[in-house]
Amino acid sequence: MGKRLAAMFWALLFLAVPVLGVATFAIAPAYDHWLPKDVSEHGQSIDSLFYFILALTGVVFVVTEVLLFWFMWKYDASRRTEGATYLQGSHTLEVVWTIIPAATLLFLAIYQMNAWADVKMRRPAMSPTVEVVARQFEWRLRYPGRDGTLGTADDLFLVNDLHLPIDEDVLVQLKSMDVLHSFFLPNVRIKQDAVPGMKIPVWFKAREAGEFDIVCAELCGWGHYKMKGRVTFETRAEFDAWLERKYAEQQAVQPQIEVARAD
Amino acid sequence: MTPPTVATASPTIAHGPATLVVTRKHRPVAEFLSTYVFSKDHKVIGLQFLFSTLLWFLVGGLLALAVRWQVAWPWSDVPVVGKLFAQEGGQMSPEFYTMLFTMHASVMIFLVIIPILAGAFGNFLIPLMIGADDMAFPTLNMLSYWFMWPAFIAFTASFFVEGGAASGGWTSYPPLSTNPASSPASGMGQTLWLLGLTLVGVSSMLGSVNYMTTIILMRAPGMTMFRLPMTIWAMFITAILQAFALPVLTAAGFMQLTDRLLGTGFFSPEGSMVNNAISGAGGGQPLLWQHLFWFYSHPAVYIMILPAMGMVSDILTVFARKPLFGYRPMVYSIAGIAGLGFIVWGHHMFMSGMNPALGITFMVSTMMIALPSAVKTFNWLGTLWGGKIQFTTSMLFALSFVSMFIIGGLSGIFMAATPVDIFIHDTYFIVAHFHYVLFAGTAMGVWAAIYFWFPKMFGRTMNEFWGKVHFFLTFIFLNGTFFTMHILGAVGFPRRLADAYHYETFHHLQPLNAFMTYCAMGMVATQVIFAANFIYSMFWGPIAGRNPWNANTLEWTAPSPPGHGNFDYQPVVYRGPYEYSVPGVEKDHLMQTDPPNAAAAAAAAAAH
Amino acid sequence: MINTPSFVHRSCYKALALAAVVGAATGCGKTQPASFRLNMVQATKTSAPEADLERPWEQWSQDRQSQVATILLAMFGTPDEPLALAESGLDEAKLRLAAGPVRSDIVGRKNGLYREHCVHCHGISGDGMGPTAAFLNPYPRDYRPGKFKFKSTWRDAKPTNADLVRVLHEGIAGTSMPSFALLPPTQVDALAEYVRYLSVRGETELALFTYAEQELGGDEQLPTTREFLVDEILTPIVGKWAAAEESQIPIAAVPAGVHFGLAASDFANRESVARGRALFLGDGGCVKCHGVTALGDGQANDYDDWNKTIVEVSKEVAGGLDASRQAATGEMSPEKLAEYRARAEWLHAFVEVLEGDALRPRTIPPRNLRQGVYRGGRRPLDLYRRLYTGINGAPMPGVGPSGPGGKGSVADAEIWHIVNYIRSLPYEFDGELGADRPMIAKDRF
Repeated sequence: MGKRLAAMFWALLFLAVPVLGVATFAIAPAYDHWLPKDVSEHGQSIDSLFYFILALTGVVFVVTEVLLFWFMWKYDASRRTEGATYLQGSHTLEVVWTIIPAATLLFLAIYQMNAWADVKMRRPAMSPTVEVVARQFEWRLRYPGRDGTLGTADDLFLVNDLHLPIDEDVLVQLKSMDVLHSFFLPNVRIKQDAVPGMKIPVWFKAREAGEFDIVCAELCGWGHYKMKGRVTFETRAEFDAWLERKYAEQQAVQPQIEVARAD
Repeated sequence: MTPPTVATASPTIAHGPATLVVTRKHRPVAEFLSTYVFSKDHKVIGLQFLFSTLLWFLVGGLLALAVRWQVAWPWSDVPVVGKLFAQEGGQMSPEFYTMLFTMHASVMIFLVIIPILAGAFGNFLIPLMIGADDMAFPTLNMLSYWFMWPAFIAFTASFFVEGGAASGGWTSYPPLSTNPASSPASGMGQTLWLLGLTLVGVSSMLGSVNYMTTIILMRAPGMTMFRLPMTIWAMFITAILQAFALPVLTAAGFMQLTDRLLGTGFFSPEGSMVNNAISGAGGGQPLLWQHLFWFYSHPAVYIMILPAMGMVSDILTVFARKPLFGYRPMVYSIAGIAGLGFIVWGHHMFMSGMNPALGITFMVSTMMIALPSAVKTFNWLGTLWGGKIQFTTSMLFALSFVSMFIIGGLSGIFMAATPVDIFIHDTYFIVAHFHYVLFAGTAMGVWAAIYFWFPKMFGRTMNEFWGKVHFFLTFIFLNGTFFTMHILGAVGFPRRLADAYHYETFHHLQPLNAFMTYCAMGMVATQVIFAANFIYSMFWGPIAGRNPWNANTLEWTAPSPPGHGNFDYQPVVYRGPYEYSVPGVEKDHLMQTDPPNAAAAAAAAAAH
Repeated sequence: MINTPSFVHRSCYKALALAAVVGAATGCGKTQPASFRLNMVQATKTSAPEADLERPWEQWSQDRQSQVATILLAMFGTPDEPLALAESGLDEAKLRLAAGPVRSDIVGRKNGLYREHCVHCHGISGDGMGPTAAFLNPYPRDYRPGKFKFKSTWRDAKPTNADLVRVLHEGIAGTSMPSFALLPPTQVDALAEYVRYLSVRGETELALFTYAEQELGGDEQLPTTREFLVDEILTPIVGKWAAAEESQIPIAAVPAGVHFGLAASDFANRESVARGRALFLGDGGCVKCHGVTALGDGQANDYDDWNKTIVEVSKEVAGGLDASRQAATGEMSPEKLAEYRARAEWLHAFVEVLEGDALRPRTIPPRNLRQGVYRGGRRPLDLYRRLYTGINGAPMPGVGPSGPGGKGSVADAEIWHIVNYIRSLPYEFDGELGADRPMIAKDRF
C-alpha cells in the first residue's frame, strides 16, 4: 500500500507540471508579466503568431504531460497484477505521429514567412529617416537634416534620444562603430544586430505616440546593461518641430539658446 | 548449446595483462599510477571523467548562483565573494558579472555536459554494453582524459590573470572577443579560454575516434548493429557528430587566436574603432565567426542531449519492464537529428544581419528538426503505455527527463519561428529553452544514469530514500527557476544584462527574479544531498550484485564492478536489448546473453 | 539612514540563504561598509622624511594619513553617509540621493545613483580608478584635483552647474563617458552635486596634505579647529566653486561672413574659412599639435595633468632611489645613515603606491579633427569655448585671453573663423544604404 501511495504521489507530482505550467502562463498577463504593449503596425502579426504557437504547443504540452501522468498512475507496478504488455511498437502509430507533426510544422513554417518578409525583406523604397550608430555603450543618432541626405553639413547629431514620426514608414540605417550590438525595441517588436562594417536597414511603422525603451540585446562588453536609449514616437508635425529645435540648439553660437535639458 | 565460458581466452583481449602483472609486482607506485591515475582501463577513465566533471559541475553551479544574485539584486553587497569588491562597497562590478555568465556557460558546456556524457558514460558504458573488454585504442582513451587537464588548468588560471577570465559570452562573438581593447577580459583571459576550448576539442576528438572504432569493430559475437542498446546508438551518432563538427570549431578557434595574437583580420572589418584603438587589420567579417562557431555548436547541442536520450530510453524500458516502443524509429530519429543538425546552425543568427532570405531556409530546416524529437517523445510515452512501472530514483529522473524535454522541445518552436524570434531572440525565453534542454533534460538524464549504473561502477547501490528526496527537491526547484524564465522572456527581458531594472519595460520584474534566485539557491543546496549520498554509497552502500535492476543489456552480466577485461567470459548475444515481459517466459526479462532455449538458460544461470 | 529598504535590500536574509548554500560560515556575509580611499599619491608625495623626525618614518607618515582621514571623515562623512557642512555650499539632500548603496527608499525614490551609474569607472572616492578604469581609453576623470575639461568658464575657473549637467546629459563623444540624458532631471542634478562634493572633498584633502608638508615640522599635528579647517582650507575651495557662474567667458558676436546655417564649404563661407585656416596655421598655433592636415599628427608626446603628475612623480622617485643608492654605498655617520634609511623607505613606499594606487600614465594625443567627433560638443559655441580657453588639465592652450581683461593670441571675434574652418574639414562618411540591395522592392517577394 505504501508503494501505491508513493507511486500516486509521484504521478501527481508530474501532473503538477502541466497544471502549474498552464497556470503560470494564464496568470502572468494579469500581473503585467507579459508581452509589452505593441505600438507597431507589423507587431500584430508577430504577436498573433506567438499566441498561435503558444496555443499549439500548449495543447501538445498538456496532452503529452497528462498522458505521462496517466501512464504513471495506471501502469504502476504496485497495482498491476498482470505483467507488462509485450509490445515492440506500432508501424501505424509511428506513421501517424510522424506525418501529423510534420504537416503541422511545415504549415507553421510556410504560414510565418509572410510576417518575416514584411519585417526583414520588404524594405520600403526611401532614404533613411535616421542613422543609428551603436557604440560602447550608447546609441549615436544622426538625422539627415533638411536636405534629407545623410553625410551632409546640416546633419543633426544626438545621443540615445531617438524621435520618430508615427503613421508613416521609418527606415533606420543601423551601424556599429566597434563591436556587435543589437537594436531592440520591445514595444515595436523590432530587433536587429548592429555589425561593424555593415549598414543594415531596419524599418517599421508606429501606430501610437509615446516614449519607449531602446535596449541593447547583444552582449557588447561590460557596460552592455547600461546601453539604454529612448524612442519617442510623435506626430509628423511634432517631429518636425523637434528636429528644428534640436538643429537650432546644435547651431548655437550664444549660451542664451543653450537648453540644458530636452524635457 | 554450451555456455561460452571458454571464451575468456578470446583473442580480442589484445593488450596482454599478463606482462603487466609481472612488472607491477616490483613497483607498487607505478602500479598505483597505472591502475588509478594513468590507467588505460576504460572504466577507470570513465570514472576519472565522472569525478572531474562533477567537481566542475559544482563550480559551474556556484558561478550560476553568483549570476542569479546580480540579476535578482543588482549592485547589492554580494555575500562571500563580496570581499573581493570591498573597495567598491561589496557590489559586483559589471565586467565581473559578464565574466561570471561567460564562465558559467563555458564550464557547464565544455567541462561538464560534453565530457560527462561522452567522456564519463561513453567510456564506461560502450565496451561493457557491446561486450568488449576495452576500447579499441586504450592509450588514446587515456590521452583523451589527460587532454582535459590542460583545459581545466587553462580555465582555472584564466580567473586569476589580469582582466579576469573570458567575458565575451560563451559564444565569444568578435570583435568583442578578438579586440583586447573592447573588454577587460579580452586579453589573457580570452586567450586561455580559446586554449582550453581547443584542448577540450582534442579530448573530444580522441574520444570520438575511439568510440566509433570500438562500436564498429569490437561488438561481441551476435551483437548486430540493430541489437545495440539505444545508449550505444546515441553514443555512436554523437561520436560521428563530434568528428565532423569539431574541426570547424578548432579552425575557427585558431583563426580567432591569430586575430588576437598575430593581428590577422578574419573577423574584424575595415576601420572599426574600439575604445579609441583601431581594431585589427580589417578585411574580415564578424559574421564569419558566428557561422563557423554555430556550425560546430549547433551539432554540439545534440552532442549534449543525444547520449542522455539514449540512456533514458534504456532506463525507461528497464523500469517499465517493457520493450522500447519503436526501436528502429528511435534509431532513425537519432540519425535524423544528427543529419539535420548540420543544416540548422543559422537559426542562432536570425537577427545577426545575415541575409533574411537565408533565414527562411534555416527556419524551415529548424522546424523539421523538431520532428525526430517529437517522434522520440511519442515513443517514450509508448514505452510507458502498458508497462509495469517501478518508481526507483533512476526511473523518476528518467521520467522527468521526458517531462522536461517536452517543455524544452516545445519552447524551441517559438524561436524557430523567425517572426517570433525577432521579439524573443536573446531574451530569457531562450535561456529558459536551453536550460530545459540542458539542465532539466541532460542533467536529469545524467542523474538517472548515475543512479542506474552506480551499482555497476562501484558494486553498491545508492540510497533510494535520499535519492528520491534529491529528485523531489531538484525537480521542484528547477521548475521554479527555469519555468518562470519563459515569462521573463515573454516580457522581452534580455539575457546578459547586469541590471535591467532601469528600463521601464522591465522594472517590475525584480520580484520574479528574486523568486527564481531563491529557487536556484535551493537547487544548488539540494545537491549536497546528492554528494553525500554518492560518497556514502560508494563506500558503505548495500552490495549490489551483478544485476540489481534485472536489466537485459550486457554490462549486467559482468561482475560489479567489473575487473580489468570486464567479462568473466566472452558474452554471446542472442537478441535485442529490450526483451522484457516476453509472453511465455517465466521471468520478466531475457538478457541479451540468455541462450534461446530454457534448458540452456538454466545451465547458463548455473554457470554464472 | 534615511531610506528604509524596500525591494533591493535584505542583505541579511539573502546572505544567510546563500551562506547556507555555499556552506561557508561567513556570519551575515556583510562586507565592510564602503569607505573613501586616501589620495595616496598626494599623501606619499607630501610626506618626505624630515631631518627632525623622532619616530620611524612609516609610523610618522601613517599618523599623518590618519589625521587627514579623520578630518575628512568629520568634514565629509563616508560614501554611505555623506556630510555637507553649511560652509561647503553643498546640498546634503541631493548628496544622499546619489550616495550609498543602490536601493529605493520607501516611496520608491532611487538612492545610490553614483554607485549605480558612476562608480565602476570613477571609483568610490571619485579618483577615476573604479574597477573598470584601467582599461578605458581615455581614463575616467579623477575629480579630486577639481579640474574639469569641458566648461563655459575661464580656464582656471570651476565649471558651472549647467556645464556639469551638460556633460552628464550629452556624454563625451569619443570617450567611454555615456550620456545620461534619460535620467530624470532630479537624478542628474543629484549626480552633479555629488561630483562637486567629491571634488571639494578631494581638493580639501590635497590642501591638507600640502599644508602639512609646507607648514608643519616634524611631529606637529594638523590643527583641527574650525577656524583652520573651514576658514583656511575649505572656504577658498568653496569660493572658487561659488564664483563659477560669474566666471563665464564672454562670447563674441559672430562676425559677418560666417554662416553657420550654411555648410562650411558653402561659397558664402569661403573667406571666413580661409581666414580661419590662416589662423589655424599661424597665430592660433593649432598646427603645432593638430598638424597641417588637422589629423592630430603633430606633437603627440604630452600628457594631461592627471597623468603628468604621475609621470613627474615617477621620475622623481626613480631619481631619488638612484641617489640614495649611490649615497648609501659611501661611508656614513650613523645619523646620516638613519636619514638615508628613512628616505629609502619613503621612496620604496612611493613605488608601491604608484604601482597600486595610480593608473599607468598614458599620453594624450592631439585630437584628430577630421573624424567629425568633438568631445566637448559639436555646437559652434562649444568649439568657440574650446578654442577660447583651451582645455583645462590638457596640453591644449587657449587662443583667447587667460583671464578677464587679458589679451589672447587671436582676437575674440576672429575665433569664429577658426570654428568655421574646423567645421569645414572633410571627414569620411561611408554613405547611405544603397538602393541596390537585392531585397529592397516591396513587390519583390
